[in-house]
Parts: sequence; C-alpha cells; structure tokens
Amino acid sequence: MAASLAQAGNSVCIVDLDLQFGDVCHYLQLEPEKTIFDAQQAIVQNEADFFAENYSTSYSCGEVDFSVLAAPLKMEEAYNISAPAVQRVINSLRPQFDYIVVDTTAAFSELNLAVMDQSTLITFVGIVDFIPTIKNMKIGYDTMRSIGYEKNRIRFVLNRSDAKTSIAPEDVEQLLEERFYHVLPNNFSAAMGSIDRGLPLVLDREPTALGRSLQELVTKYTTGTAVTAGGHKSVKSWVRRLLK
Amino acid sequence: MREYRVILIEENRLMLERMAGVIRNTKDFQLLAKEKELRLALSSDVSPNLILLDIDAPGNMVKVGEVIRNFPKAAILCLGAQWDGETASTVVKAGAKGYLIKPFTSEELVEAVANIGKSGQGNDCEILTFFSPKGKSGKTTLIANLALALAEKSRQEVAVIDADLQFGDMAVFFNLEPQSTIVEAVRDIKFLSPLTLNSYFVPVNDNVRVLCGTKRPELAENVRPKDFFNLLQMARSLYRYVLIDVSSGFNPISVAAADAAESVYLMAMMSGGFELEHIRRALDVFSVWPDCREKLKLVFTRVEPCTKREQDHLSELVAYPVSAVLPNEYLLVAAAANNGRMAADIKPESPLARCVDRLAAAIYSGG
Repeated sequence: MAASLAQAGNSVCIVDLDLQFGDVCHYLQLEPEKTIFDAQQAIVQNEADFFAENYSTSYSCGEVDFSVLAAPLKMEEAYNISAPAVQRVINSLRPQFDYIVVDTTAAFSELNLAVMDQSTLITFVGIVDFIPTIKNMKIGYDTMRSIGYEKNRIRFVLNRSDAKTSIAPEDVEQLLEERFYHVLPNNFSAAMGSIDRGLPLVLDREPTALGRSLQELVTKYTTGTAVTAGGHKSVKSWVRRLLK
Repeated sequence: MREYRVILIEENRLMLERMAGVIRNTKDFQLLAKEKELRLALSSDVSPNLILLDIDAPGNMVKVGEVIRNFPKAAILCLGAQWDGETASTVVKAGAKGYLIKPFTSEELVEAVANIGKSGQGNDCEILTFFSPKGKSGKTTLIANLALALAEKSRQEVAVIDADLQFGDMAVFFNLEPQSTIVEAVRDIKFLSPLTLNSYFVPVNDNVRVLCGTKRPELAENVRPKDFFNLLQMARSLYRYVLIDVSSGFNPISVAAADAAESVYLMAMMSGGFELEHIRRALDVFSVWPDCREKLKLVFTRVEPCTKREQDHLSELVAYPVSAVLPNEYLLVAAAANNGRMAADIKPESPLARCVDRLAAAIYSGG
C-alpha cells in the first residue's frame, strides 16, 4: 500500500507497531539504525526539537520512495514502548506525510487502541481458512463496534480469498453482517517472490494478480474516501459523552 | 471401601469441634484423636492412616516432614482457611498429599481423600506451555490433538487451559459451550480449592478437561497474572498434565505460563515468511533461563518435506535442537476444526496424527 501511494506521488511513512516481531524492515530488506524506540526517547525528552525524519529509514526503488519508522531492534526496547508516546510521535509525523500506514499486532492492546483512535481508516484484514478464524474475525469486529468505531471507519479486506477452503466469502459476509470492502486473491508464489526480492508487489514490472488487486485497493481508498479533516471524534470523548 | 483412621489437628477450639463432628459423621471415617496442638498429636500412641493438619497455625507448616516421619503410613492433608498456591506447593513438596479448605463437609472430605489415590496430586504434575512469536503457528491444533493422545497413553488426567485471552479457540476446536471460562476461574481463585476449581473445566472425555477462553476480549484485562499463576498452582494438584495455550508474543500471561511450566514449546509455522527470524529472536529471550536447554523445546509446523533431514536442517538454521516437525495437513486440520473434531479422530493414520502420537509418547516417557 505504501509503495502504491508513493508511486502516485504521495509522501508516505510506514510505522511498524508489531513491536516484538515486526517484519516491515525484513520484507523491504532494510537495516534501520534508528527505530520507534529512539523516536520515543527523543520526543519524551524534548518535543520541541523532535524531527521524525531523524528516526525513520528510507526505502527507495527506482523513482518510488517512502519512509519507514521501524519496530525496536531490541526486545527490552519493545517492552518499554508507551502508547501515549507513540501517539505523540505519530502526531508529529502528520504534517510531513500525506499518508501514514501503520502495521499492528492482532490484539486489542493499549497501543493498538490508541493508534486506532488516531486513525482515519482502519483496515481489518482477515482470511477465511476455517471456523476459528471466522469466529475471531466476528469477535474482533463486534468488539471494535462496541468500543465505538463507526462503521465507515472500518474497512474489511479479505486476503487469500480463493485459497483451498470449504468456506465461501459470501458465507462469511453473512456471518459478519458486513460486505468485504475488498478481496485479495490467493497468490502464494507472487508473495514469496516479493519477499525473496524485497520488492513490493505493486512495484514489480511483471504484473501479478495480487499486485494488481493491491493497487485496486489503494485506488479505492484514495478516490473513495472523502473524510473531512478532524471529522471524527476520538473514542475517549465519545465515551465521556455517553457516561454524562 | 477404605477405612480412614484420622488424627485431626486444629488450634481453634470451635473449628476443631466442628470438623471433628463432620469426621465422626462421615461413613468409613473414624476419629482417633483430635488435638489443638501438633506436639500432643505427635506424642500420641495411635496409628492413623490419615492426618488432617491445620497449617494456618504458626509453626505447623514446617513440621510436615516431622509428621510424616512420625506416621510413615499416614497420608497428610493440610487444612487452611483459604487456598494459597505457594503454601499448597510447599507442603506438597514436603510430602503432604493435598490441601483442603476448612471447614469442610463430609462430601468434600470424601472427595479429597479419593483424589489422593489419583496421580497428579501435587508432586507429579507436568505443565506444558505452548508459545509462539506470532499467530498462525498451529499451536491450538497441536495442543488439542496432543491432549487427547497424552490422555490415551498415560490414562491419567489431562487438562487444557485456554489462556489466549482475547481470541482463544479451544472451545471451538473441542466443540464446547462452556458455562464458565478462565475469566471466572481466575476471578474466583481466592475462594476456590482444587475440587471447586475442577468444576470450571469442561470434560471432553473421561480423562481430558478444558478450561475454555472467554468470548469477550474486553474481559481479558481482568485476568491478573498473579491470580492466573495461583490458578496454575492449584491445577497441579488436580491433573497429571496441564497444557496451556497462550496468545502470541511476550505478554504478562504468556510469560507467567512459561515461567510456571516444566516445558515450553516454542512454535512456528513454515509459511515462507520470516518465521526463522522470529524464532531466533524468541530464543534470545528464552536463553536467559539457566535451564533453557532442558525446558525449551522447538516445534515447527507445516514442514515440507516433513522428514528428519529437514528437522536437522532447521535445527542448524536456528542453532537449537528441533524437538518435532509437523506436516502440512491443511485440509484435514480445517475439516476437523470446522466440525469440532480432532484431526487424529478423523484420520488416525494421517502423518499429522502419527507425529502427534510420537510427541505424546516422548512426553509420557519423560523425554
């Protein structure tokens, strides 16, 4: 997604919030010197002098480039990341980038809730390999709705849709009572090739079904979304109003 | 039916009389002596086969060993007003056969001594925690199938605890609709004893019980690691094997489960991603344990080809011995989970079932 947005001329930053086992830099074959942990330390010490670019790592491929704010290098650093500090870091990134793409873990953690709070769009990625997965998608979605995220902030994306499974996407949509916003096809070899070369699928000269589908998703996002700046209230204020 | 000849030691007069009354009224129990002070009981001349010892009284807890030496033919059950995992663990290590909350009813007394015969009364329990750096490791499938295989081989009590608090799948895998889950069990732990804790576990068959996860992720944050740890300690006195599923990554619950366990299975599924990198990173963290080599076992799933050669190759790549490799049997696993059945039940001769069986055999024989 980041590559596609950057290719279209936007300034983009990926933030890897899979703190313990983040793979963004692995995937892009980057070796970051600074990470989100360093950014946190800096912003906590002196917010006025904080420049996010000092902590991000650049990725470029041909004419396309974007930034990556990497997950911590050391495990002890991963344990010591604070959600409020990360929110501040992301806020300070906002003026510099057209798009910030955040990778998270699959859990309702304090950090994930904080960053979903800040987000314009939440992409809920699921696969439908067997019943337990679908059960978890439903639980996850219901929980997000019960926390207060509006429906139009959440976009369901189905990945590996035509993998060999006895469950049809339509069945899942029925269960979730939601249509999938976008469906990505299963293309294991393309994905493997991409990982091997550290090359995002959308930048591959050889087009693949998966690459094209990812491109379509980004196009949907950039043309479909007309969110007014600051148009959504944060969850906390929503809850406060409810409790009055 | 066994006859129990009992000595009761309790320092509170009222509590002493009350429990004495219960013992006298319980069929097949004969009260030989009741004493407020342990030393009087020790100097008595009778030959009991059951001693109920109050360990709330200061000084009694450390005397468990002495009691055993004095009455080598007797089983000791310690009495306390409240369950305490540490205390129970200590007295069992000292040779007591169990821990009973006082005051007790006749039924509770009978059940407590019945459990003495069963293995898994404290000394002998093995906790196995299954850890993965990221999701989609095949952990839950392995635990579910392994629990059944272990129970079959050992003919002893096996429990599965779903501590994957936000998204645990055990109930789905076993096709269970639990009345109570781990959230309630941990919430109530201060008031529970092993007997009452057991009722939170849902039986799957004669030897396997499951403490299911919650269907509501928001309740997960109510589970405090310390209470969870106490629950595990209490479970030791109930089961021979306890298999724990935890959510991925290092978090307070997964770490508590790993700390409490005799064995930790570190798992990853080969998916053409960065699994080996994740495993290496996790190994770095676990290597601070002095007994890491004995305690930590590595398992890879979806290994193709699933051969010893590949297993050795993986061991080399991560510089750590791989205990087991499981094959890719995606369709079988999916079919099983979709129908609330076990892969090993659907196809007992499948490579997956055979691998699980081998692993169960290794665990049972102490490997």
